[in-house]
Amino acid sequence: MLSLLVRRTAQMLFVMAGISILVFLIFFATPGSDPASRIAGRNASPEVLAAVRHDFGLDRPLPVQYALMMQHLFITHDLTSFVNRGQRVIPEVIEAAPVTLSLVLGAAVFWVIGSIGIGVLAAATRDSVVDRLLMAAGLIGISMPVYWLGEIVNLVTQSRFHDTWLFSWVPPLGYTAFTEDPWLWFKTLLLPWMTLAILYIGLYGRVLRANLVEAMQEDYIRTARAKGLSESRILLHHALRTSLIAFVTLFGLDFGALVGGGALLTEVVFGLQGVGKLTYDALRNLDLPVIMATVMYASFFVVFANALVDITYATLDPRVRLA
Amino acid sequence: MTESPPAPSEPGQAYSGRVEPPAMGPWARALRLLAADRAAMLSLALLAMITALCLAAPLYATYVAHTDPFVSNVDGEITLRGKRVPVVQPSTEGLGLGSAPLGPTWEIGNFLLGADEQGRDIAARLLYGGRNSLLIAGASTVLCLVLAALTGLVAGFFGGFVDTVISRVLDVLWAFPIYLLAISLSIVLITKGFDIGPISISAGSLALPILIIGIVYVPYVARPIRGQVLSLKESEFVLAATALGVPAQRILLRDILPHVMTTLIVFVPLLMAINMLTESALSFLSIGVQPPDASWGTIIQDGTNLIYTRPMVAIAPGIAIVLTVLSLNLLGDGVRDALDPRSKLRLR
Amino acid sequence: MMRRAREWMMAVVALCLTATSLQPLAAEGVRGGTLRLLAASAAGSLDPKINYTLQYWSVYQYIYDGLVTFKQAAGEEGFTIVPDLAEAMPVPRDGGKTYVFQLRKGIQFADGRTVTVKDVVSSFQRIFKVSSPTAGSFYNGIVGADLCLKTPATCTLAGGVVGDEAAGTITFHLVAPDAEFFDKLAVPHGVVLPADTPARDMGSTPIVGTGAYMFAAYDPNKQLRIVRNPHFKEWSKDAQPDGYPDEIHYDFGLTGQAQITAIENGQADWTLDEPPPDRLAEIGTKYKDQVHINTLTAMWYVPMNTNLPPFNSLKARQAVNFAIDRNAAVKLFGGNALAQPACQVLPPGFPGYEPYCPYTKSPGSRWSAPDLARARQLVQESGTAGQKVTIIVADTTAAQALGTYLQSVLNSIGYDASVKTISGNIQFTYIQNTNNKVQISVSTWYQDYPAASDFLHVLFGCDSFHPGTDASINISGFCDKAIDAKMKHALATAATDASAANREWAAIDKLVTDQAPAAVLFTPKHLDFVSNRVKHFVFNPQYYWLHTASWIQ
Repeated sequence: MLSLLVRRTAQMLFVMAGISILVFLIFFATPGSDPASRIAGRNASPEVLAAVRHDFGLDRPLPVQYALMMQHLFITHDLTSFVNRGQRVIPEVIEAAPVTLSLVLGAAVFWVIGSIGIGVLAAATRDSVVDRLLMAAGLIGISMPVYWLGEIVNLVTQSRFHDTWLFSWVPPLGYTAFTEDPWLWFKTLLLPWMTLAILYIGLYGRVLRANLVEAMQEDYIRTARAKGLSESRILLHHALRTSLIAFVTLFGLDFGALVGGGALLTEVVFGLQGVGKLTYDALRNLDLPVIMATVMYASFFVVFANALVDITYATLDPRVRLA
Repeated sequence: MTESPPAPSEPGQAYSGRVEPPAMGPWARALRLLAADRAAMLSLALLAMITALCLAAPLYATYVAHTDPFVSNVDGEITLRGKRVPVVQPSTEGLGLGSAPLGPTWEIGNFLLGADEQGRDIAARLLYGGRNSLLIAGASTVLCLVLAALTGLVAGFFGGFVDTVISRVLDVLWAFPIYLLAISLSIVLITKGFDIGPISISAGSLALPILIIGIVYVPYVARPIRGQVLSLKESEFVLAATALGVPAQRILLRDILPHVMTTLIVFVPLLMAINMLTESALSFLSIGVQPPDASWGTIIQDGTNLIYTRPMVAIAPGIAIVLTVLSLNLLGDGVRDALDPRSKLRLR
Repeated sequence: MMRRAREWMMAVVALCLTATSLQPLAAEGVRGGTLRLLAASAAGSLDPKINYTLQYWSVYQYIYDGLVTFKQAAGEEGFTIVPDLAEAMPVPRDGGKTYVFQLRKGIQFADGRTVTVKDVVSSFQRIFKVSSPTAGSFYNGIVGADLCLKTPATCTLAGGVVGDEAAGTITFHLVAPDAEFFDKLAVPHGVVLPADTPARDMGSTPIVGTGAYMFAAYDPNKQLRIVRNPHFKEWSKDAQPDGYPDEIHYDFGLTGQAQITAIENGQADWTLDEPPPDRLAEIGTKYKDQVHINTLTAMWYVPMNTNLPPFNSLKARQAVNFAIDRNAAVKLFGGNALAQPACQVLPPGFPGYEPYCPYTKSPGSRWSAPDLARARQLVQESGTAGQKVTIIVADTTAAQALGTYLQSVLNSIGYDASVKTISGNIQFTYIQNTNNKVQISVSTWYQDYPAASDFLHVLFGCDSFHPGTDASINISGFCDKAIDAKMKHALATAATDASAANREWAAIDKLVTDQAPAAVLFTPKHLDFVSNRVKHFVFNPQYYWLHTASWIQ
């Protein structure tokens, strides 16, 4: 077990290093990414431009710049932004992390419970009207772009029906920390949670239903039925466990990506200053230090989540040997 | 007199209560079963109709609507119920700020679904857009599923070093900031073209979004398949086949792949929907569908800027996507049922 | 009897109530409250010597002071330059090459220290030390500036800015007379900071100033918090008035739609950003009393690269000018209430403006309709028909709509046009760099200060063309020696005879417009949407809404 952990950690570092180099190369291959003029301002004279480039170390060779950036990011922890001069990147990310975590965890609760409920119900009532309707609703959920859905939610809850009893509880857009005001934190995040979850409920419900239906035809299910177990117990205790492999895999992929800042459009549309919004702004500004920090943050969670998922395979299906 | 006894079923299988069709090859049988599945046939018909309508887009635009949906028409006018109406109507109340495009007229051939902010016919653009959407989403879905099946099967079955390498590559792919790559690529493509040997790729080439989307989602399908294969690898029939000395490729193709097909088929409509929306994000960055061309995703994007005045602009393509995806879903269920020999067992 | 008495008493009470409520509204507002401003994002460095954005220039008005400043007034008066830290506007000596400013006594920074001559001199040295964007363009006329540009770290401006502690004066020596000298001192790059301010971009760390307010905290991802300067005593209502709100909170991060909704709900008071076009009708009707529209000296225009095909051909550029339907462009921007079609470079109301429009169906002084036939003919004559053209636009709604429209127009006159969108933060520098070979783009230009040279010389003068860099604001790459010579002549004339100079600029305006290095689309008006709490809205043409001149109800 220990050697497995050591090996996976080494692989994780390898993956993150690879991504950081790729990001660096892509950035400098992009025309117009040179931040010197954007910082120097419009109509800056060539001398001013040269001075600014020197200040940022942009006139040094690429490997040196890469090494310096990695040093600032991981060793001395004082990497600063290109766009907001003097602003330290790591504290920015640390401040934004709880926001994203709150958003993603809450949405995950909704979508896991919701999709398991839908998947089980659809499998149990297979081929009936209920099944068809649930699957249709789920597919409608996947087909709605999250930014559009968020704007619609805002239109209804903040604008058109804000003054009615239905939505007068909806607080202004923005984020309040749980430690500051838990009830306000909850009210602020409730609608973003549901908006983000709708996209995933349909997908996960659909996958779970398909796997459940297939699992119900396995031999061991027939054995259980022959033993006299009730249909619901079979569904929930036996079929569900093995059907969760695909479910858990997808969850690891999605949750890992979302915690690292994948929910950026949801954060943007609801005014939540999370890691996703940070990433979105950094990309629009081509702010390399912030891009690098957020990419490293995101890739850590993706790799970590995938490693966790691999370990859970053994608990779900005892026949699987750990790689 | 008693009724004739029910048709004999194979030993060891529960009584199905359904008359088996006469013996024929597995593919022919599958087709017959599919043809008998009413829901699947209806959805196939719907898909065929959507595709036909989209292919007939130029006919609609020229002969029915008499409009060019790619030319800006901000100052245009149409005749609606006898009156001349501007296509983009400036506001005349209050301070006279802003303007609203025409809403749905519900008259076929006369801005049926209304206009967008450039004054173009939404219905015509929807049909043209369908071609791009179906092509890009379809091709990228196929590409993604093929690659995912390959990588998932190989990684799951062979394990060890092969699995480690493939899994880490998938990790890199999933963690990689695709938006950064897309932004960079879009700016590079504006400045210079992309020339790899004899192939020259311009920013408007649809191959770009097909490739990018097809590859980006490979981990999303490959990892669940890998997980399934890890599980299947330990099942008795596989162990038996290995003990018998059956070569790996045969085991993969004959024994494992059919079980994995379900997952693949389930992902078809899901990926189609996801891909259509991802493609609109790429088009926003000027990769793939370029203005004035349209795809359902780009029309939704145009419509997101009009939510408060003309919500129909975003809703119409959304409905188109939902219909396509729903019918693919039903069809997929039917195909899966027809192909899977055990699915004859309808357990009540 | 009783009833009549009671009614009579109620009438008196009512009259008293209305009388008291009539009192404070008319002349003076109530001090206090917190003003809540919104913007989609922060504007970078807080350092007034570095920052070149309108977003923060509007804020610096009440945080910092220069020797002179623009009058804090509405309308035309807002362009007047008044003495600020200086006692009075100095009379130019030495044929306009020397100015002696007398520093006011007793003005304190927000940390309690008094402003001295040393602070003023070092503030000007600091412009070069921190490589301010305008060091080379605004302040290069000071003696000693060329040395400072070469070696900024040791900048002394010796012989250029001379302080006399005993007399309390600061003397400026210019290389040549400059009619725009006071404007250059009045912009925030010329404000006075403590002498011990470090000689590097202070970024997110606030620097103290002498204004009525000071920065309390700054997080570029969340909020800029501004509070009253405890050491402030009003010395000039025109230059640095005491403000009404006690605090100002400038919040960042909401989308355009969210901002408008927040203001409608009373959760915020104003937003910097243009409202999304599909909310315009709503705020123009339901909330029209909260909307303030003011004329701007600015333009939306389409620079065309005069050094690349097809727009290196004069006829091609003129064809584009004839083909564009400026009414359609105005409609896409928000309607007639928000923009006015324009053909020429100088905006209406600008010194030197004389209406002129050659690119319309019946050429004269005003634009009326596009002339597509003429445009197509010109394209044919130029021999550029069928060429590929790429339009580069920023990713704002208005710019994209205009870009798509422009593509349609170019296609209709015979080109093969495509539109590419780039993030707004990058697009502006991208289209300036000649290495990117940008043929045509959609851009905006807002004045730095009200001088015709700021439009004509800065945008179309040979000096502003720096090939191969991201800072070549002459995006068209237009360099006509004859016109350039005329511009230099007008600049020199302005030092002595303003109206003669204006006439020269009007002539240059016509010449440049005829050469069509760009297609000017329209003159935008500025729309401010405020909450119903905000009273006494004052719009200054240089810095727009004066935040602290309004009070909160």
